[in-house]
Amino acid sequence: MENENITAVAEGKPSGYKVTKKDLRNANWRWLMSVCTFNYQTQQGASVAYALSPVLRKIYTNDEDYKQALNNHFRYYNTQPWLAAIILGACVAMEERDGLAAADAVQDLKIGTMGPLAGVGDSLLMTMIPTIMGSIAAYMAIEGNPVGAGIWFALILAIFWVRMHALEFGYKQGVKLVTDFSEKLPNLTAASVLGLTVVGCLIASVIGVTCPISFSFGDVAMEIQPLLDKILPAMIPAAITGSAYYLLTKKNASMTALILVVIVLAMVASAAGILA
Amino acid sequence: MVNFTILQVVLLTLLAFIKHVDYYGIPMIFVNYAVFWGLITGVVMGDWKTGLVIGGTIQLMQLGVAGFGGSSIPDYGTMAIIATAYGVTLGSDTGLAIGLPVGMLGIQLDVVAKILNGFVVEKSQKFCNEGKFNQMNAILWVCPALFGLCAALPVFVSVTLGQPAVNWLLEVMPQWFLSGLTLAGKMLPAVGIAMLLRYMPTAKYFQYLLAGFFLSAFLNVPIIGAAIVGVALAIAFYQRAERDTELAAHASADAFIGEDE
Repeated sequence: MENENITAVAEGKPSGYKVTKKDLRNANWRWLMSVCTFNYQTQQGASVAYALSPVLRKIYTNDEDYKQALNNHFRYYNTQPWLAAIILGACVAMEERDGLAAADAVQDLKIGTMGPLAGVGDSLLMTMIPTIMGSIAAYMAIEGNPVGAGIWFALILAIFWVRMHALEFGYKQGVKLVTDFSEKLPNLTAASVLGLTVVGCLIASVIGVTCPISFSFGDVAMEIQPLLDKILPAMIPAAITGSAYYLLTKKNASMTALILVVIVLAMVASAAGILA
Repeated sequence: MVNFTILQVVLLTLLAFIKHVDYYGIPMIFVNYAVFWGLITGVVMGDWKTGLVIGGTIQLMQLGVAGFGGSSIPDYGTMAIIATAYGVTLGSDTGLAIGLPVGMLGIQLDVVAKILNGFVVEKSQKFCNEGKFNQMNAILWVCPALFGLCAALPVFVSVTLGQPAVNWLLEVMPQWFLSGLTLAGKMLPAVGIAMLLRYMPTAKYFQYLLAGFFLSAFLNVPIIGAAIVGVALAIAFYQRAERDTELAAHASADAFIGEDE
């Protein structure tokens, strides 16, 4: 059987190559391409092909099979890229074992997990952490203190380390993990509880808008803001946030439009001396 | 008057390029977060403190705002770079007034890059089908470069051609415009927070939002303090959810046995 290496493996079958830790690490680094190839047709699809192309080359020694496998990954893909690495690892495991026979299952896995991963990743990783850490960092930064930014950076590096092991993790856990994960998903609502508590605090502390209006009756000046504070502290910030939330959810306003509206409103309110 | 040296122009443009390549994935460390890019620009301009303050101010406007699923959002990182570059000499308020409009314009370029990427990716797949696998991978590097230009171009124009315009603008800019922008900076976090709330189960768990608001508005608890209370509430919620799942499992098992009999 000395010519085993020369004869092409049967069509669609994997070469029997055992994927190494190095292959997975390499694919994980290449997956940094993620959103960089973003386009309106296939979104992150090309990045998946880019990330997996070296390891797939080892799995499929036959050119035609390799092309087919790559084309499978060139297809539409879009989710939170840090968590996607876990799924790509699982895909490598499937293709290593079954070759092109796994192509449909690989697609199903990728498409099926896109929504849940984006949901968890976008809210938790891309919004909640930046909101909490960002507000701490920003508050200290405004006073010229870089410590908050430093703490956030340390967290970012820790997350980066985890990210760089995600593909390997997905490879080892395989599909089992994904099913376990979906079962546990409802419990992640607990993270929303933390998030909502913090956001409630943010409304009262981050939006520093006050009302500078004051009336004067002869010698007695009456300011509006202390009066408002007695009724409900942070009343104006709560009202602005509430209106923005209403416009976004009930009126389907786009965020960009809303930002522009706020800027114009701010110009008017500031010129009229209503808000400061 | 502001005059940037050639070295500063090169460094600022390069910084913007790196910033956007990082933002879109390689390696997605600073993700266009204004506080970091303000600080880094401050270091480049030789005044890290102004950069930090400006970055922090923009970071507040950015809170809760994130681009998902390819949606385009204002370019807060570019805003921070330009605002800091000008703010170091002109003061942070003026710097912000210059940076803000450019950051808003960044949205448009981002759309162009995503359209162009479509052609690059098409070509890459064509290389794949022709068996030119090296070219297939190599050409994809055009995509991050295009995204890099989305930030590098506005920054380059702002600190070169933009200079006379900026200097002219500074002479004619009315006071109401400046104070209006300052107020906008205070109001914009509300938009971000509202956006965040939209992605959270706000209506269902409104009580936790109230609790957090109370802590800050009435007790002046800082954010970290509210986060600690939030963790406590989250643990309680998790334990209750686990117990409910177990009970539900038991209940359905009982029902199954019942059916069997």
